[in-house]
Amino acid sequence: MTDNVIEGIKLSRRYGGFAALDNVDIAVKQGEIRGLIGPNGAGKSTLIDVLSGRAVTRGGKVLLKGDDISALTPQERRRRGMARSFQRTNIFPDLTVEQQLRVASWAVPGADIAEVMDELRLTEMADVPAAEISYGDQRRLDLALALVGRPTVLLLDEPAAGLTMEESLALARILRDLANRWKVTVLLVEHDMQVVFSICDRITVLHLGRTLSEGTCAEIRVDPTVIAAYLGTEA
Amino acid sequence: MTSLTASGLPASRRKPAGYAALIAVAVLALAVGAALPWLVPTKIAMSLLAQAMFDALLATSVGFLILQNGRTSFGQAAFFGLGGYAMGVLIARQWVAPEAAVLIALILPTAVAFLLGLVISRITGVAHAMLTLAVGQAFYEVVFRWRELAKGDDGMSFDLPAQMFGFSARKLQDPAVMLVLAWTVLVLVLLGLALFARSRIGQVAAAIRDNEERARFLGYSTVMPRALVYAIAAFIAAIAGILQASYNGYIAPQMFHWSTSGFALIMAIIGGAKFIIGPAIGAVVLFYIKDYAGQFAEYWPAIVGVILVIVTLTMPRGVVGLALMLWRRGTRR
Repeated sequence: MTDNVIEGIKLSRRYGGFAALDNVDIAVKQGEIRGLIGPNGAGKSTLIDVLSGRAVTRGGKVLLKGDDISALTPQERRRRGMARSFQRTNIFPDLTVEQQLRVASWAVPGADIAEVMDELRLTEMADVPAAEISYGDQRRLDLALALVGRPTVLLLDEPAAGLTMEESLALARILRDLANRWKVTVLLVEHDMQVVFSICDRITVLHLGRTLSEGTCAEIRVDPTVIAAYLGTEA
Repeated sequence: MTSLTASGLPASRRKPAGYAALIAVAVLALAVGAALPWLVPTKIAMSLLAQAMFDALLATSVGFLILQNGRTSFGQAAFFGLGGYAMGVLIARQWVAPEAAVLIALILPTAVAFLLGLVISRITGVAHAMLTLAVGQAFYEVVFRWRELAKGDDGMSFDLPAQMFGFSARKLQDPAVMLVLAWTVLVLVLLGLALFARSRIGQVAAAIRDNEERARFLGYSTVMPRALVYAIAAFIAAIAGILQASYNGYIAPQMFHWSTSGFALIMAIIGGAKFIIGPAIGAVVLFYIKDYAGQFAEYWPAIVGVILVIVTLTMPRGVVGLALMLWRRGTRR
């Protein structure tokens, strides 16, 4: 039996003549936080989309705990324990914080929204419509929606986008803590290298739709191909 | 006192009214309804108010689609007409018992809307609006041209049976009786919609309206809740059609026409489509403006148009939104 919780095998996705993903393999182990980095257009968000069912792979396979879920809808993947967030804040602006977390909880049996609100420090604004809370709070709410029901796998597409350095690192700490305590496997797309290096166990680097490199944070920092393609000499 | 959230924003804590408060308001409204024949001075005034209630129900139907599905319909008159025609034709032809005619007149538009909702709920924006317009006008063209059904563009009169559901059906054409009935139905519909909005399915539908993609990734089918909202909205429109047809003893293609849908939409916007009660208030306001303006100007629709422009520019949340804002300001002082 595999100890990979989420696995993508030969994932490919084209947009017209452009190969956004080209035979990408990825496997993330139980409880691991995997960073997914690379320059714009590398295929990071497309990989998250294919794994989550937002986009369809051509020929490849997506495995969740060893089961082939390639043909499942996003709803079915969610019920099997896969949750995701989006690059842009993707919440329900007219619903209050509590209302939307409650809606999220109804789709997952046994979900406890009080613990999610508490962990993400949203309790105080429970009755406030999401459109009226600050951007930083909205990003935490976005993450909270994905965390309702303690998913097995969490796919995060730039959760710290638009946050200040202080907010980004606070979010990273929450994420690291919850991943440890709730045993959530996380695949994280992020441009903020400080966030990535502070919480990721391993990193996969994509470039032009292909896997450029994979390794621990220490290995990636000094990988000359990664430095040349993405990190630059100051990383 | 306004509290501050962690983000430093004033928390406009919007706790919805509790169930007990809702039911208390509804009971009070029903009591007012029962007293209307004594409160409204003349039969003509009662008749006008009863007709305003039919408009209020149709506008509530249109507003409910906007509120729960975030979709604008230009064809809601299709279900209004279908309700009225199903009852009128079945009673006139005596094909089924009058009670069965009423039930069919409720079920048929609801079922048609549910099936249509499974398809058109996937379409957004202008395309959705145009599709609802096309559906409504398709029904209009059928009843307009099909003379054997209900005398085509002439429309058709029909007599109500002596008894329906154990009551004297002809009393439905008494303004006082119809006013009390229509008011009661409107109050119960508004209460039902308020309870629906607080229910699990109502909140899921609101979430889908706000952000369909996120709802899908939370694990929800986004089509069924929307189709259900279409069906409920059609059910309300059908009730309006049945009441109007019963009161007038007459059905005509105008019931299906896009202008009927358009006026219902205007009523919903003027009253405030973001509120369950908004369209009903808008319908009553607009009904009386129409009636008043019609006495002085042949081109009263132009006056209605001007009012719509003013409301859209100055009161984007409608009359109810404005009243609520003024009330909140007043209570803050």
